[in-house]
Amino acid sequence: MPQRSGRPTQRFALKNGLKVILAPEPKSLTASVWVWYRVGSKNEWRGVTGASHWVEHMLFQGSPKYGKGKLDRAVIEVGGTLNAFTDTDFTAYFITVPRQHLAVPLDIESDRMTRARIAPEEVERERTVIRSEREGNENWPEFRVDEELFELAFRRHPYHWDPLGFPEDIQRLTAVDLKSYYQRFYGTKNAVLVIAGGFDPAALRREVTRQFSPLPEGGDDPVVTTTEPEQRGERRSELTGPGTTPFLEIGWKAPSTSDARTPATLLVDVILGGEARLFSAGGVWGRSHEHPSSRLYRALVDTGLAVRASSEYRPKVHPSLFTVHARAAKGVPLARLEETIDSELARLGRTGPTPTEMNDARTKIRRGAAVAYEGATFTGFRLGYLSMLGGPGFESDLFHRVLTTKASQVKAEARELFQTDRRSLVTYEPTEVTGGN
Amino acid sequence: MGTERTDPLRVEREELPNGLTVVRQPPPAGASTFSATFVAPSGWSYDRAGLEGLARVTSDLLPSGAGKRSRVELARFLDSRGGSLGSHADPESVDVSVHGPSTEWEPLIRVLADAVLRPRFDPEDIARVKRQMHERQLRELSQPGERVEREFLREVFPVGHPYRLTGLGTSSALRRIGRPELRGFHSSHYVPEGAFLVVTTPRPLADVRRAGRRLFDDFAQEKAPPTPALPSVPTGPRAARSLAMEGNSQVEVRLGGASLARADARYPALFLANEILGGRSMLCRLFQRVRERHGLAYHASSDVQPMRWGGYWHAQAGTGPERAQKVVKLVRDEVRRMGEELVRPSELELIRESAIGEIPLEIETTSGAHQLALDVAYNALPDTYYLDWPVTLRSVSARALRDAAQQGLSAEGAVTVLAGPVPR
Repeated sequence: MPQRSGRPTQRFALKNGLKVILAPEPKSLTASVWVWYRVGSKNEWRGVTGASHWVEHMLFQGSPKYGKGKLDRAVIEVGGTLNAFTDTDFTAYFITVPRQHLAVPLDIESDRMTRARIAPEEVERERTVIRSEREGNENWPEFRVDEELFELAFRRHPYHWDPLGFPEDIQRLTAVDLKSYYQRFYGTKNAVLVIAGGFDPAALRREVTRQFSPLPEGGDDPVVTTTEPEQRGERRSELTGPGTTPFLEIGWKAPSTSDARTPATLLVDVILGGEARLFSAGGVWGRSHEHPSSRLYRALVDTGLAVRASSEYRPKVHPSLFTVHARAAKGVPLARLEETIDSELARLGRTGPTPTEMNDARTKIRRGAAVAYEGATFTGFRLGYLSMLGGPGFESDLFHRVLTTKASQVKAEARELFQTDRRSLVTYEPTEVTGGN
Repeated sequence: MGTERTDPLRVEREELPNGLTVVRQPPPAGASTFSATFVAPSGWSYDRAGLEGLARVTSDLLPSGAGKRSRVELARFLDSRGGSLGSHADPESVDVSVHGPSTEWEPLIRVLADAVLRPRFDPEDIARVKRQMHERQLRELSQPGERVEREFLREVFPVGHPYRLTGLGTSSALRRIGRPELRGFHSSHYVPEGAFLVVTTPRPLADVRRAGRRLFDDFAQEKAPPTPALPSVPTGPRAARSLAMEGNSQVEVRLGGASLARADARYPALFLANEILGGRSMLCRLFQRVRERHGLAYHASSDVQPMRWGGYWHAQAGTGPERAQKVVKLVRDEVRRMGEELVRPSELELIRESAIGEIPLEIETTSGAHQLALDVAYNALPDTYYLDWPVTLRSVSARALRDAAQQGLSAEGAVTVLAGPVPR
């Protein structure tokens, strides 16, 4: 299973409900502090979409001990780095510093966990920044297609909207809305504090207790009760705009992290697209790389039909999507890509993976897992991310279940997953490119 | 700094009889991986007229089948060993890199040697890479962030200058590239003279040297190609250029010009000047002024791209069309200030100590540390360059910083390019 090279990971909880994970690596020159809140766009509702992301921005805009600009300065002046990101299921903040400055991020995180200011004038100023972030993403057709796909596939569940929120909500949300959202969801009960790197775990445990124990118990992690009704019939959408060659993205309803089908679905992703996802070095996040031995690559890129082809299954807290993305080579119609993808998926459901493919997939997962933890920052990210998906034994349990999944289970999962009436499909046809060589 | 901390900051190197320089860097403590990169004088500035794109196609094909392994066989082999193989081209050089568990040193370093010396250039791979390159050419024209970069370089550098192009070539040039051209370019540009094998590994230099002699000794040619000519870069006032790209939401702004080479003695001062202007994330002036004070853009920053023969700098921001001109003005003001005013001692101290303090973060992982070794090797910097970096930075005065900004972040003659939904 994925192994860290340092001392064993310690997990404990404070009386106010804050869960803490310490991952000591005595030789590390850095220390990375991550705070993961179980709040993301899944907790929003229509009219306040984008609130999780906006609150994330506001947590850099002032708290009692760190007025506007002081927080960044405190970290950066000691050579540290900091950032944050918001997803559908969580919001994460990290600060990595040279290890002798570990007190700085602890002080900051305990200060802003429940006492961020969210001043109206800063909310107003940040509105344009957030609009600008969204507009920057809209410049990429891939973002537009991804957003359209989730809007198409999810009609009731909050996965319907992107964590950036709808433009009209970005225009409408107020400081009062954001403060109320923050006060409801941010707090000790809804957070996991992860610290990785060079420190003495006993001393750090005392320090964490000293800093975070006085915080009042709070932070709501309400169960999202809205479930997406079963999809009965294919949904399609066509987009146009600036771009290179046509592409398409197809999404099928896929299991959540807690589903027994997850290990087999992860293997379907490895065999079709080549990414080991949760069990690769650095591959948890982001777009797929090229995997010439994967089925989609061989069927679409090798044959000259596409310039890129990938699959992606990033399990989430609630049932989400398994996606396939393919970009056509010049002159190849999207219908041809779709036909080929259908044929490949049907073949996997009909005959299952070959023994060689199963062996290769398991090897890739084992190998990736062996080097999955390197550096304090990535270790903190990985431990926190996995803690958002499941409990303490989640990683080892899933690893074991993936490796013991049989080819017949992968075949059955492919059949279950790739049903036409449970898929949504978005095509993108570029308008003429202006300018020349 | 303790011993552990300093280790990855010091490199050792040795030139082999064939002209290849081997460089060894210790990995960060606790790392279980190694990285190795072959750096060849084979960037796209060596493309011949009519064959623009050849260097990048060659570079893309190196990890696509080498020695006895086809592309699929190579991919499966790398997966079985937990390794990854890739290449990256820039105007001057190409990096071919392998990364993987330290326990897989021998098979993976052999794969690297195969990719560098024995690429297969299989016809189906050539066709695939050309299709992918064509799509990238279109992307460069249709995506505002990429288009603005392309046009910016064309505005800064004159025809014939190595930094003027992005290496993707043209669709007509791409059609002319075939196996003979690729083989020819590979033979003449993947040579030991002027090349480096940079390895971040716990193994001693002797092992790296042995690997260099044993595995990297079969080059078709040994002599490095002549350095391309460097036409002088125009100076003086330049008109702003706007590229209307309908259907997009945001305008991408670039403002910048030619800058100093990496090995220039003024580089440390220029580095600090850029950090103050737009390089030091949330503390830099552009971020503070454009985003934090005026709320005009999500990103506002600046970069210096110092290379061996020269370099360039640019400030960048993405903003809505109605805010673009205001952003340009704010950016321009800040750039001008860098060259006109002395930086306050407190600001200089803050940024300098931040830059020094971040060294441990840069060597958190093997691949992070490896980037420093590549920089030292390629730019012929001293073995202890990064070990001495704190002292070097602390010796930079506010006056030296301003002088370096006048040379390397010059507002005079800076070009401005906007791409996106700019008002016509």
